Amino acid sequence: MKKIYLNHTTLTFFPSLAIIPVFIAFLRESHSGGFEIVSDFFIAIIYPSFNHVVIESAWRGLQVTLCTALLSWIFSTSIGIMLAVISSNVFWKAFDIDESVGVFIRRCLAIPRAIHELVWGLLLQAFLGLSPLIAILAISIPYTAIVSRVLSDQFDSISQDNLIAIKQTGSRPLSTFITASINKMIPIIINYGGYRLECSLRSATLLGVFGLGGIGTELQLSFQSLEFREMWTSFWMLGLLMLGLENIIALFRNKFLSKATLSWKSLRNLIITLFVIFIFSLTWLRVLDINLFTDISWHHITIPSVIDFWQASLELEWIRLITGTLLLTFLSAGIAIGIPPITMMLVPTRLGIKLQSCLWTFLRLIPAPISAMILLLCSSPSIAVAALALGIHNLGVMGRLLKEGIDQQNNNLFNAIQASGANSNSTWLYAKLTVQSRSYLAYAAYRMDVLLRETAVVGLVGGVGLGWQLQESLSSFYWAQVILVIITFISMTIIGETISDRFSRYLLNSKSPIGIALKP
Amino acid sequence: MKIIELSKVFVKGDQKHRLSNINMSICSGEKIALIGANGAGKSSLISAINGTLKVDMGNATWHGSDLSKLKPRQRLQIATIWQDLRLIEELNVIQNINSGALGYHNFIWSLLNIFSPIESDLCLSYLEAVQLPKELLYKPLKELSGGQLKRVALRQKANLLLADEPIANLDQILLKEIIELLTGKKKSNSIIIPETVLISIHDTNLINSFTRVIGLYEGEIIIDKPTNELDLSELNSLYH
Repeated sequence: MKKIYLNHTTLTFFPSLAIIPVFIAFLRESHSGGFEIVSDFFIAIIYPSFNHVVIESAWRGLQVTLCTALLSWIFSTSIGIMLAVISSNVFWKAFDIDESVGVFIRRCLAIPRAIHELVWGLLLQAFLGLSPLIAILAISIPYTAIVSRVLSDQFDSISQDNLIAIKQTGSRPLSTFITASINKMIPIIINYGGYRLECSLRSATLLGVFGLGGIGTELQLSFQSLEFREMWTSFWMLGLLMLGLENIIALFRNKFLSKATLSWKSLRNLIITLFVIFIFSLTWLRVLDINLFTDISWHHITIPSVIDFWQASLELEWIRLITGTLLLTFLSAGIAIGIPPITMMLVPTRLGIKLQSCLWTFLRLIPAPISAMILLLCSSPSIAVAALALGIHNLGVMGRLLKEGIDQQNNNLFNAIQASGANSNSTWLYAKLTVQSRSYLAYAAYRMDVLLRETAVVGLVGGVGLGWQLQESLSSFYWAQVILVIITFISMTIIGETISDRFSRYLLNSKSPIGIALKP
Repeated sequence: MKIIELSKVFVKGDQKHRLSNINMSICSGEKIALIGANGAGKSSLISAINGTLKVDMGNATWHGSDLSKLKPRQRLQIATIWQDLRLIEELNVIQNINSGALGYHNFIWSLLNIFSPIESDLCLSYLEAVQLPKELLYKPLKELSGGQLKRVALRQKANLLLADEPIANLDQILLKEIIELLTGKKKSNSIIIPETVLISIHDTNLINSFTRVIGLYEGEIIIDKPTNELDLSELNSLYH
């Protein structure tokens, strides 16, 4: 009897099966009413508006979004790095203090991390009113916790032997820690920091779609009035900004990391650069006549009683909400994780990969709620619409990640297989994807956490899951329900994070291939 | 009949030429030993012959066609066993054995091999021929020793076999067996060894298994003779 082998490569393909039920459900719910409008949307890609009022408005929105992204990025990375240090085991080991302090801080940080920036935005808006500061805080809070988690893991991967050896020279604990970690951590911080800036820009745009200002608000307003040409003016400008930012980050990273040894001087330069960006962004906002602290006022909220909580818990349809959230996560993850390997395998030519890269950038550019609303023009609200919107946005992220990983591979195996006369698809499959599959899957496991949190963003359009319920409860100021839903979200995210973390570690440390045989 | 022809071939390196003024040809049926010290250019010469290393000057041809521009169908005729083996760690033994034949099959076959390893009978007899236990067939590569990996990497079929130190780290008995297999002195039903081979070796005691010896020194060919005309003392000049 033939056996099917589950190895890392086959596992990268299986998630794409999610596209089948999603498409069937989408087609079943689709209607022809909005096809004309959808076609107008796509036609407008090549006919954006050049009206100077539109361009000025989009330009202003873009500046606000960029400043929001820069400020939240600086807050979250600088505080995140400090928290990463004190939540790492290796730091406390250098001081000969029990590691449980670090573990405790890490566990506390799981809570802000589990709540999506949009949810933070809506909550802060309810507490503090509508202010430009809200967007910065909403991004900074979860991002700080995310940065601290990722970097504390990296600190903990520093060789213990190294630390002990430095300690034995009689060095002070803080000097021991810094000497043992500085050379390894600075490149990681720079690489990861650059990536976080791009994430901040995407989040700042997303929050704008929900009314927190900037280019996102411009997009939303253009969409509401079906002014797609105006919308594409904003999209193109945002795309150019993203592209410019990616190149600047890459340039900075290469320049900084090209030095053979990283010294205190490099660290000092890095801190000065961040400080200059911080002051520059604040000044820029002032120039745009935006005062961060305008309209900040504490909105008093009555704390719900135990009876309110009990009543709220009875009203919520828990099973439907939780299964809806999980289903939405799995379906969107299937689309996001499964499609890039297949398209790259089918069209592995240089031109094909280039075109796919452009497509990934395009998909990352469009915030998931906007995609969802476009899909809703030709389909009724359903979980399929929500999964498609969330899936295709994250597909852009996963596609880019896969390409980056492949670009960093050396070409020895590729040359060898190509030299053996294999066709281009087989060569790509064996020499590129198979080699990359393990780290791709490990990242995909992490992406599942992100998707679970992001279900909050598209829950509303799909009418499913805890995200939808949260926004319903927030709209009616039903705080007991809001708190219960958030606690459930946090619990689910922490459980999901624990599972995906273990799966990632298993993937990265296991002997390859996984080699589970399934008898069909 | 000449199948490979290199004429006035130069390949630049960082400081000096990796290959310098190489003039040689390979005729069908030859069994060539390529010898030289580390860094003499053996791997570069093999890469230039299989077309993965583009020559900076001169002509390198396969049946008259430029080696670096061969079509996949033509490339099939030249098999290479690499010094660093270039096996696929993520796949198991049977999938790796099959990956040596990717050029002979279409994409669907390649994809099927990833999902459910195919041609297991053929692969089993292959393992037998290279003296590997059949239990290894579905094992991950990480569970194999260095010598076992080398034997998995021998999975090739073509008209010309190029091998870059395929026998380093093998024990003496196995080494002899593998050389006999590669040079066609020992026949196997499951491995079709090409009739023309060029193998880079370090052990000069093995040259009697070959019909011709090419000696490289600092990127230049300084010995190119039939084995029976070679004075062993000439080999010393390669290692100075």
